[in-house]
Amino acid sequence: MKKLHIKLAHFLMLALALLFFTHSVAIAESVTISYSDWQLAQDIWGRSLREAIAEFERMNPDIKVKTEPIALGQRDVKFTTAIRGGKGPDVFALDANPVKQYIKEGWVKDLTPFIEKTGDSEWLADFYPVSLMPVTEDGKTYGIPKNVVAMVLVYNSEMFKKAGIQSPPKTWKEFRDIAKKLTIDTDGDGKIDQWGATLVLAKACFDLRFSVVLRGHGGDFLTADWEHSNLNSPEAKEAFNMVADMILKDKSMPPGVAQVDCNGARRLMAHKKVGMIFGTMWTITEVAGMNPDLHGWKVLEMAPVPQQEGSQSKIRSTLYQKSLFMNPNTKHPEAAWKLIEFLTAKKQMEKWFVDNNMLSCRKSVNDGFGPILQSKYAAIVTEEIDQHAAFLPLMPKWPECLETFRQSLQAAVAGTKEPDQALMDAHNQIEAILGR
Amino acid sequence: MRIRENHKGYFFIFPAFLFLVGILGFPAIAAVLQSFNLIWVKNPSFSTASYHRLLSDVEFLATLGNTVIFVGLVVGFHLIIGLGVALLLNLEIRSRHFFRVIAILPWTVPDVIGGLIWRFMFDTLPGMINAMLLQFAIISDPIDWLGHPKLAFGCLIFAETWRGYPFAMLILLAGLQAIPKEQYEAAEIDGASKFKSFIYITLPNLKYMVIIAAVLDTIWESRLFGMIYSMTGGGPGYSSQVLSLLTYKHYFLFFNTSYAGAIAVVLAIFMFTISIPYLVMTMKRE
Repeated sequence: MKKLHIKLAHFLMLALALLFFTHSVAIAESVTISYSDWQLAQDIWGRSLREAIAEFERMNPDIKVKTEPIALGQRDVKFTTAIRGGKGPDVFALDANPVKQYIKEGWVKDLTPFIEKTGDSEWLADFYPVSLMPVTEDGKTYGIPKNVVAMVLVYNSEMFKKAGIQSPPKTWKEFRDIAKKLTIDTDGDGKIDQWGATLVLAKACFDLRFSVVLRGHGGDFLTADWEHSNLNSPEAKEAFNMVADMILKDKSMPPGVAQVDCNGARRLMAHKKVGMIFGTMWTITEVAGMNPDLHGWKVLEMAPVPQQEGSQSKIRSTLYQKSLFMNPNTKHPEAAWKLIEFLTAKKQMEKWFVDNNMLSCRKSVNDGFGPILQSKYAAIVTEEIDQHAAFLPLMPKWPECLETFRQSLQAAVAGTKEPDQALMDAHNQIEAILGR
Repeated sequence: MRIRENHKGYFFIFPAFLFLVGILGFPAIAAVLQSFNLIWVKNPSFSTASYHRLLSDVEFLATLGNTVIFVGLVVGFHLIIGLGVALLLNLEIRSRHFFRVIAILPWTVPDVIGGLIWRFMFDTLPGMINAMLLQFAIISDPIDWLGHPKLAFGCLIFAETWRGYPFAMLILLAGLQAIPKEQYEAAEIDGASKFKSFIYITLPNLKYMVIIAAVLDTIWESRLFGMIYSMTGGGPGYSSQVLSLLTYKHYFLFFNTSYAGAIAVVLAIFMFTISIPYLVMTMKRE
């Protein structure tokens, strides 16, 4: 009996050891990587990304992906702190603004060896050359472009029709006149309750929306070489004064415009409080989703950014790009690369358009995918991407320059400084920042 | 190994000391080193440039001024309102425990949430405050509360006064409850009025509590971030920006780590200076 017990105990120990061994092997074979993206926290985008990741896991049963949603405002705080501390998500998404700083500080991994390993020398050739600019430094590629769009004018065609306006504004004079026409009291209580347009003057999304006003006037924040401020140009002055006048004199923008961020602007448009905003492909999805009664997909139209009469400048719009990056601290670079490759592949790019109305950084997708070719919105935005849009300055000092400008604009709008003085102050401060 | 009796205390506090050095000391030293460009940059080299820049940075000087005014006014209002409410809650009234809970509620609201609530309240178009003022025909057009520098700063002080007064109130209420009733009885026998009792008994007895509340509240308000970040973001312009927000901006938005470190060091020195009376008083009492 005792011998039987000993044998049974030996058998159990062996079975346990075997179980432990096979489990360990399974664990060793399967890796878990993390993916962080602010759009994971959004309703439609989040669902779309999770579906794609589930598909990736099905195709790569040895790789598990842990999704880490993050608030856009906290993105750089979290990523930079974690990466400096030797941690952080294996793969993460960034827009173009902070990328050069990430590259400069070594917070993103050089992906050139992975691209070379694909064995396809033409692998990068499918991406718009301009989309590779933010992610390339000294011939090395640090990120893979995913989505790109250009900013355009989004307007409510129903409001235009009611006001007897035949077509969207082509010049800033027309823009200002239309904004005045659309600023009315709709319910007859003697109070204005509909305004012509709104700009985004709060921090979130200010860069993309305000830059088109400057560029549409033929000006820009910085000189072409990004060495100096360009805010002392007559074009910049004209743009700055036009905005101040629309807010302070015409009152064709809603009160409280200084606090309006991109979501606020969309909400105002969704609830028929404003007739025009600057936006892009996602604006239609977001605005239509905020108020189904608006029938956004039917009512909202797009037009190129207005231009100053006689302006010779080809650039009038600003590019927005989202790219994927690998953390230099990742312990599973191969798995991380597989995920980046998957999420930027042609098939997924098509999915991003179907689900989210977002254009691709792959030219072949924008030029060959049926639904994109049939989209009235995509036709306008792709033309801007191709011919009339440029990135904001891709340099580490840019966020500070931009915030300095925004603060001056707010001071002008609040009436604490004359617009000319506020613009000159911004110019001088940006010169000081760039000269530092 | 035998430990001498008078050394045992050090032995027991050693783990806590290590913990404090790790949690507080390390980041503090790191901030100082960072302000001199010595760590966490690609090319570390000793530099005092960030401190020189502080002296000529218009935004920093304006923000320092904002911080002093903001902290001074908010702490002042906290003490005045806190004392008033503490006096009311110290009265022998029915359901006073219920009122005490009600009075403490703003303190339970996280500062970011508090900021968001007040931001929505002060919003120009759909905001509740404008809606009420318009409804009662007190104003004819909505007021841009957070769009005008002075108004935005005032709204911020109002909101933070609301959120933070229970802290001072609790300390002062504890102080009020510790005043011996015999002192008031003796004053009453001597014919002292309620006002005189307040001036000559209540206030002197509360002196230490007021200093404690003022110092701790000043430290708390000097490093306030969430409320301001979520309510005005420091704007319009930088009219409602305080040092904690400027540090955040330079560190995480502009990646000027060395300059952010220098601002943080100045803020730390500012708070340490304020806390000296508290430290001196605590040591004296011991």
